[in-house]
Amino acid sequence: MRQRAIWSAVLVVSLALAGCGSASDSGKSTSSDGKLVVWDWKSGEPFAKSYLDKAKADFKKKHADVEVEFVAQPFDQYYTLLGAAIQSGKGPDVMLFNGGGQIRDRVDALVPITDYVAEDKQRLAGWDAFTKDGKVYAAPVTLQGYPIYYNKAIYQKASLDPASPATTWDKFVADCAAIARAGSKCFALGNKEGVGIQFWISSLGSTTLTAAEYDAWIAGKRDWNSANVKRLFQLWKEAGDKKMNSDGANSTAMFNDSFALFQSGKAAHVMGLMSDVGHWQDFNEFLTPEKLGVMKAPVITAGTTPSLPYDGGIGYAVAKWTKDPKMAAELVRSLSSAEALKAFYADAGAIAADTTIDVSQAGPAVATIVGELKSGKPALHVALSSKTIDLMGRLSQQLLSGSITVDEVVKQLAASDQAG
Amino acid sequence: MPIGNTQPSVRSASAGRAGGAAVTPAAHQGGARPRRTRGGLRAERYAPYVLVAPAVLIIVVLRLYPLLLGVNFSFTGDGAQNGTAVGFGNYRELFADPLFQTALRNVGLLVLLLPLAVAIPGLLATFIYLRVPGHRFYRSVYFFPAVLSPVIVGAIFNLLLAFDGPLNAVLSSVGVDPIDWLGDPGIAMFMVVGVHIWATFGMALVVFLAGFATLDAALLDAARVDGASLPQVVWHVIVPSLSRTIQFVFVTTMIGMLTSMFGLLYVMTSGGPEGSTYLPEFYIWKQQGQMNRPALASAASTILFMIMLVVGLLQIKLLERSGKED
Repeated sequence: MRQRAIWSAVLVVSLALAGCGSASDSGKSTSSDGKLVVWDWKSGEPFAKSYLDKAKADFKKKHADVEVEFVAQPFDQYYTLLGAAIQSGKGPDVMLFNGGGQIRDRVDALVPITDYVAEDKQRLAGWDAFTKDGKVYAAPVTLQGYPIYYNKAIYQKASLDPASPATTWDKFVADCAAIARAGSKCFALGNKEGVGIQFWISSLGSTTLTAAEYDAWIAGKRDWNSANVKRLFQLWKEAGDKKMNSDGANSTAMFNDSFALFQSGKAAHVMGLMSDVGHWQDFNEFLTPEKLGVMKAPVITAGTTPSLPYDGGIGYAVAKWTKDPKMAAELVRSLSSAEALKAFYADAGAIAADTTIDVSQAGPAVATIVGELKSGKPALHVALSSKTIDLMGRLSQQLLSGSITVDEVVKQLAASDQAG
Repeated sequence: MPIGNTQPSVRSASAGRAGGAAVTPAAHQGGARPRRTRGGLRAERYAPYVLVAPAVLIIVVLRLYPLLLGVNFSFTGDGAQNGTAVGFGNYRELFADPLFQTALRNVGLLVLLLPLAVAIPGLLATFIYLRVPGHRFYRSVYFFPAVLSPVIVGAIFNLLLAFDGPLNAVLSSVGVDPIDWLGDPGIAMFMVVGVHIWATFGMALVVFLAGFATLDAALLDAARVDGASLPQVVWHVIVPSLSRTIQFVFVTTMIGMLTSMFGLLYVMTSGGPEGSTYLPEFYIWKQQGQMNRPALASAASTILFMIMLVVGLLQIKLLERSGKED
């Protein structure tokens, strides 16, 4: 009896230990000749199927003998898993990245594909988010931006012209007063996670900062004490004080409670997204395409020109350890080919990086967004470090509750920005 | 191994105490010893170690070793300094971070609210024990929230406490201005703690009811005969009789508050508003997952571990003392 107990204990322990050992092996994928492994977080979704089929077909035309395997990873662990692969110097040949900080922090593990994708340079937009020190590391698939959407039905109810929304801030505030009289709020705002302020500074950045200030901000030379930067935060506070925002903004989640407020007609405007969620296709569930408008940012500082803030959303990159970078780069090109991106736009509801795609079917809002891509600029908040963004979220909540001054906010943000 | 055929090897493990009576008299007869083989003796000597080995291995490999790795990791840097020793740099940064200070202050707040969290199930259990009308119904109803996951509880109260939610609607119907329950930094933490107590007091209630089962009913009857009022019965008879149970509930409730409020915080406030509902646990998750600062998170984990260690030692001490009192 005792002997049996001991042996079973030994067995349990050895099994437990063996189990630990093998758990870390799963998910490992190394390339062999004639096969390319791709990591992403999209390929498991049903909407990505036709996109992948088109991309694979395009690649097959060039390399019929090479097999391509897509491995879908969960998004919340994606960069952790990728980090482990980079540490060990083994992993997928091609991998999906978010533009901006996520890819720029990891270019040491990537091959520059500038020369391979030269032909696509004109056709696709959003390259900046995948570029570091003049070298391109990934080809953009989607674009992510922060347009201001408005509900034309509420404009009509408030006796405003839905075809010509306000072009200056003063007129906009007056319009919002009319909208308030008609029983709706001006902005649907969700700032529980502190995301509302990010969209705010990016959506209104182009008409608050001068062109020179804007470019300096993106280039990393941010003057937090400039009057116009302070203005961005003053207006945020004013909008809260004047009750232009939906009630309880600090306890409302942006995803997706604030968008639900906009969709259900409780607020006239929302600063939303272009791709993935909180965008034109999402809103169409309740707001028909005819009722959904996209407006340019109203001019706050005289002499500024509104532009759409957007960056490259996601894009595929080539790993340093792949055996044949040229072949992998051709797969990246196939994943950004016109046919594939067209399928992605249609099925996933994203603004694809290919600006030649015909979007007239999706309604006027999308056409407006795509029309503004040419003059668009990178978004202000994307240029900030995650630490500064987190701090900005908390400070923005304090501004709304009135427990901090704008001067103190920019002082703290400047300190965080310089440290990071 | 010839272990199975030798004398009972449990003897040395349970040396002489409770097991003394169970050991066969034959084992103690002088004549039995010399006949044993040398291998049998050795097996007997090693058997206890073999028996505790699985438990020790599991604790060492899966608990202590990772713990030491984590503490070691907390003395290294993040990002570009990955892997290089930075001494107490992470700890200095932690104590300078107002957010972490808030998290520690909130731990203090939890300690202050602890008597309330213990008193509520204690009182309700007393009423059930005293058989108030409908006590059977209440017994099952009170336990019900304990089976819900924190995420579900959080989602329910998110709806109830929303600015345009039912609670504010009720308040406005009696003329009270709406309150941003989860958006006001002065209120949000109390709401989250309140919901946590609501969601978990069922477990403590069951422990209290088990304690009541050991209560001597004669004492209660005697008190009643002597003309004691209900508050007097509770204070002079029930509380002293249940001191061990109360201490146990104190400690388990404290541990529950420190280690299992993450789900509620994540769903209800995300640490906000203005960072007012941060707890060390949430801070660790944020630094590790969102800010890409695993080493800083390790330092915060080490501090949380220290806090838990103090609570745990306190628990042992309390239980030992109450054991002596009996």
